[in-house]
Amino acid sequence: MIAIRMRDARFTDGAHAEIGPLTLDVPLGASVVRPCASSHEAAIVARMAAGLVKARSGSVSIGDYDPTVQPVHCKRLAAFVGHDPAHLEERDFARYIGYRAALCDIDPVAALADAEELMERLAGVHPAFAFPIVGALIASPIVVVMDRPAIAFASHILAAVGPRALFSTHVDRAAAAAFCTDGRILHSA
Amino acid sequence: MMRARPMFAIVFARLRAERRAIGYTIATAVIAGFVAPHGIEARTDPHYASVAIRSIWLAGPMLFCSALGMISALLQVAGRDPDLDLCELGAPIFGRELARARALTPCIIASLATFSYWGAQWARGFAAPPSYFILAWVTVLAATLVTLSATVRSGPSRWLYVGIAASITSLCYGLAVYANALAFGMLIALVAGFIALRQYGETLARFDPL
Repeated sequence: MIAIRMRDARFTDGAHAEIGPLTLDVPLGASVVRPCASSHEAAIVARMAAGLVKARSGSVSIGDYDPTVQPVHCKRLAAFVGHDPAHLEERDFARYIGYRAALCDIDPVAALADAEELMERLAGVHPAFAFPIVGALIASPIVVVMDRPAIAFASHILAAVGPRALFSTHVDRAAAAAFCTDGRILHSA
Repeated sequence: MMRARPMFAIVFARLRAERRAIGYTIATAVIAGFVAPHGIEARTDPHYASVAIRSIWLAGPMLFCSALGMISALLQVAGRDPDLDLCELGAPIFGRELARARALTPCIIASLATFSYWGAQWARGFAAPPSYFILAWVTVLAATLVTLSATVRSGPSRWLYVGIAASITSLCYGLAVYANALAFGMLIALVAGFIALRQYGETLARFDPL
């Protein structure tokens, strides 16, 4: 099964150069990275893959769902982690996990237990980077989409993501290589 | 039907993020309610209210509190709190559900401002009777909801929605004060608020968070 499938997906907002066409597959359990020419392109490609931004042409599917038709199903399958650190500190942990659990309508007690386990794998990662990753993973998505994750935390992130599929965008080739566990670097078009 | 947990999570997170703005808004409303010029007899019977009395009753709660409601709606603009924006847009929630939850926050702030203003007026003995106050409150909520659509637009269309919100407030004020048509003013405010909320939900469902 393919977690994310893109076929000739293009995006344009009028203010920047057109992005795409993008054609890629993210199989279940694989770690797929996509080097991008700019931060803007990396942000758009990651958001398109997670179903947050809709492709202007071509197709994107997450699992068997189309984000333009079934966005809620797509967001249950794909979790998104942005590039910028969140404004969170250690003391915000329980509140933040409770908030993320409520958004996904999952049991807060089980979510907190899962989150504590995930935090052990992310030991040493600053809460501003770790909490959004944990918040994305507590809903048990099949694929995690990350916009330019920090190279310094590559091993921690891969450990936290575990057997789930991971799709990440990068502007730095060294970072792309750090997140690529099976050699699947997709070169930009 | 909106699920309660995600909705309350969004509302509480947004209210927490806006706690300073809420404090300033309430304080501004209370001060304005106390210092606003009155010049009418206290505790006037609504049946004998003249245009001047009706304007004193409604100008503050409707015009001033609508302005506060519109500002609180504009504070919900995308990008002001990117962490919350990203969590909400990435959550498995339909656009209309997200719109209702997001709309509740400025509506709560606007309601607090309106009640605070009315409370300050009541303390001085110049508060509008309940029927006038309810019209003022509904108008404030309508203006707030219409302004919310401005937060997901940019350029002239953003200001168009702010203008529509101001026009609805002015229309309801004019109907209540000069035509004494409270029920018609309330009907207009309710219809405008309902359409605005639907429109905001449709726009959020298509919104690209860039």
